Amino acid sequence: MAAVKEEAQLFPEIIEAPRYSCAMGGAYSAALATFGSVPILHSGGGCGFAQNFGQSFASGLNSPGPVGGASTPCSTLVEEHVIFGGEDKLRKLIDSTLNLMPGDLYTVISACVPNLIGDDVDSVVSEFKDRASIIHVKTAGFAGNSYKGYELYFDAVIDQLLQKQPVKNRTVNILGVVPTQNLFWKGDLRNIKEHLNKIGVEANIIFGDLNGFDALNRIPAAELNLVFSIWGINPAKKLEERFGTPYHIFPSLPIGPKDSTAFLQTVGHKLDIDDAVITKVITAEEKDAYRFTEYIGNVLVVAIPHAYYAVVADSSTAIAITQYATNELGFNPEVVIVTDDPPEEYRDTITHNLTENLESVLKPNVVFEVDSHKIRLLLRNYTVQVVFASSLERYISEKELGGALFLGVAFPAYDRLIVDRSYVGYRGGLNLMEDLMVKYGGPL
Amino acid sequence: MINLKENTCPTREQRGNGLNAFFGKASELIKEVKDGKTGNQERAFQQTSGCLLNFYLTQRVMTIHDSVMIVHAPVGCSVVGLGYREVFRKVPVSLGRTDDYDFHWLTTNLNEKDVIYGAGDKLKHAIKEAQARYNPKAIFVLASCTTGIIGEDIAGVVEEIQPEIKAKIVAIHCEGIRSKLIQTGYDAFWHGILKYLVKKPTRKQKDLVNVASMLSYTWQDRQEITRLLAKIGLRPNFVPEFSTIEQFEMLSEAAVTAPICSSFTEYLSKGLEQEYGVPYFLYPSPVGVKHTDEWLRSVAYYTGKEKEVEKVIAEEHDEWLPKLELINKEFEKIGNGQDINVLGSLGQGRLLTQVPFFNELGVKTPAAICLDFDDLVVDETEKLIEEVGDFDILVNTFQAAEVAHHTRRYNPDIALTCPFQGSAYKRDKGATRIHSNRGDARPWSAQAGYKGAIAAGNFLLQTTKNRSFQKTMLEKTPDVYNEWWYQQSDPLYFVNKEAK
Repeated sequence: MAAVKEEAQLFPEIIEAPRYSCAMGGAYSAALATFGSVPILHSGGGCGFAQNFGQSFASGLNSPGPVGGASTPCSTLVEEHVIFGGEDKLRKLIDSTLNLMPGDLYTVISACVPNLIGDDVDSVVSEFKDRASIIHVKTAGFAGNSYKGYELYFDAVIDQLLQKQPVKNRTVNILGVVPTQNLFWKGDLRNIKEHLNKIGVEANIIFGDLNGFDALNRIPAAELNLVFSIWGINPAKKLEERFGTPYHIFPSLPIGPKDSTAFLQTVGHKLDIDDAVITKVITAEEKDAYRFTEYIGNVLVVAIPHAYYAVVADSSTAIAITQYATNELGFNPEVVIVTDDPPEEYRDTITHNLTENLESVLKPNVVFEVDSHKIRLLLRNYTVQVVFASSLERYISEKELGGALFLGVAFPAYDRLIVDRSYVGYRGGLNLMEDLMVKYGGPL
Repeated sequence: MINLKENTCPTREQRGNGLNAFFGKASELIKEVKDGKTGNQERAFQQTSGCLLNFYLTQRVMTIHDSVMIVHAPVGCSVVGLGYREVFRKVPVSLGRTDDYDFHWLTTNLNEKDVIYGAGDKLKHAIKEAQARYNPKAIFVLASCTTGIIGEDIAGVVEEIQPEIKAKIVAIHCEGIRSKLIQTGYDAFWHGILKYLVKKPTRKQKDLVNVASMLSYTWQDRQEITRLLAKIGLRPNFVPEFSTIEQFEMLSEAAVTAPICSSFTEYLSKGLEQEYGVPYFLYPSPVGVKHTDEWLRSVAYYTGKEKEVEKVIAEEHDEWLPKLELINKEFEKIGNGQDINVLGSLGQGRLLTQVPFFNELGVKTPAAICLDFDDLVVDETEKLIEEVGDFDILVNTFQAAEVAHHTRRYNPDIALTCPFQGSAYKRDKGATRIHSNRGDARPWSAQAGYKGAIAAGNFLLQTTKNRSFQKTMLEKTPDVYNEWWYQQSDPLYFVNKEAK
């Protein structure tokens, strides 16, 4: 295999197997994660079908839900629409969808074709405003990746749906946990909600809430927005501009007791919760979590003590895993490859969060790389015992990285089913260790 | 007539009078198609169900050995390719999977700038990058809706840059907007193969049998076909998945092109005959005992193995017919005097294979659902009706709401759903998958040849033994459609009946 050329490339966006879909794919995933809403794709016929395999199934072998995949209404545009316009077809599609498919909210997502041919989707959508709650997310696939689509979904929700309302104390929205791109979004959001509940804070997780439309509508009522990745920052800023809701950015979701405690303390401080309340909760939770951590001691010390490890993941997952593996499991970080193509303005902060506050002597090399081939070549420069990555690295870990133990923590994951699983919170790290050691298990 | 001087194939609409909506008797469908009365229709309600690029090509083209797939498109068009490093890994090397393979694909990742200024230079660069990085034998360039609309001259770029590139570049015009019939994507792929890769024969290989098949036939099916051909002294040349570039180059040297999915293979078969005189047949495929007999006999006819084949068929019957009889008896017992009805969602090719096979198992298919239909396999469908009698057919590009409607109306004992057909499995009665995929190496999932006939028969029996998952999910989760929908008499309620 030829080495990758070092000189600056003319077209750096030509890449092997980037770990995300397009803006349409991201917005569609967000719409499907808003339970009770029906997405309507204004696109070519394969757009939704491709996301079925490439966004849902790739995210821990998931089905896309009742209105996803082959069930999603789609205008299926072909040449005649390119020539004559797709507006009429969309109009008929929305009308028929309203008759056929029950929903609280209809989300029209316009993809490449209508944006190239200049369909006036907004005006078609506005014709239906009196019949149903309906919004339009304008997301040409060429406008960006899945994460961009997540932002565009919130843009549409904020601009077209949300209304100013009284603020409800001790309520927060959870932002930045991107459905499907975060493999564990369902379990993680539930987990965060339960943790906050312990200190008397009500969290609106939005995605995965059984009444997604209500969840969207009550976003402006939050006292504070909690952001758990860089991809939640733009929605949080927009909500602050529009409704005055302040926000706080966490570099990642918390994995394990140390980060969970820091997380609850921060929220407690932000919302003026009595210290005694927080202390009581974190003391009990830590005692519980560490008592059960006793059970992983032997296998950890015998099988993978002080393991050198590599991480290949989106920025927030990479931070969460690195913090936990380094500061709780006693592993040594060699390299962290960040794969979600963060905007330049955030890269120093991400590097900082990956290299500071680590208990190891070693600090990891941080590389921002989206090309799966280059990632593979990079990994070969390291000797590690554990690889936390996407399933793209699974066989590479076995065959090219000296049989390193592999755990899928980042998109895509074609090698495991993920529905309720979560590594977040006090006991989340125990789940992570259970899953990692499956690959090792056997008599000594 | 296939014109390889053209950049690509005609669409199935143009070439085969293809149609995307029909409901009625199979005999009427054939009559209409023959009379040229049909054509595509527009739907007022439609669901996403695949395009030329994203039904098959982005999942599997990159599994060709020593090749690189370049998807000339925005980043989302190739996202299903993310399984590329894992797709065949579960097939044990002991079952014939080579271990020394390494797949690659690139996206040109078109952005807002590209759609304004064009992306020809970017494609050139991607081709150079593919050559420099991977030194492949072939580079496949796949087009998309976006490149179609902004008017990218892909064939021109390929022609211009080929002299600088060692790998053979294959341009595939699979723009999603080209056709309402996704099978046009198969033809576009084969056109590229015929135009750029297949070489003039340097010799004829009298024992070589071309077999082109969809991903829906499993690894075991490959094994079974290999086994049967070997017994009469022949070798299969399996394309396109997981094959080498040499295997494409020598398609012209084979003794015959045999079908496993007739509709998938049709363009390649005709092209090889027209250009290189390789004979072909399209019916039957080796699914079920009787059709496997006939398939082997047809292969033997073109390879001069008529005597050997009868001996093999007799041997195989001795082994497998008693097992088929056991399956028949069990279905008879379950039916208890009544027919067991099976409803399948099938591709046009599978329609021809599966319906007679069900009869052989002792179950009935009073109705079928078919992806699309064209006159390219109309003679074969006539043979099918002769064989099994007339039946109701819904042609509907696998529109999920129409499938749900049709399934509720016929209320079959067993509904066979295509993978990823949403909630179609939720039923009171039997439901299971119609097929598994190529990466599945379990004997349990086999469907082709004699071994596959018995495995698939037992698989179908298995579905009758427990219905708790589908029943529970039906009971406990809401339907996706309003009840009003099921009260309409016509599953094609939303189809504009005027042909377009």
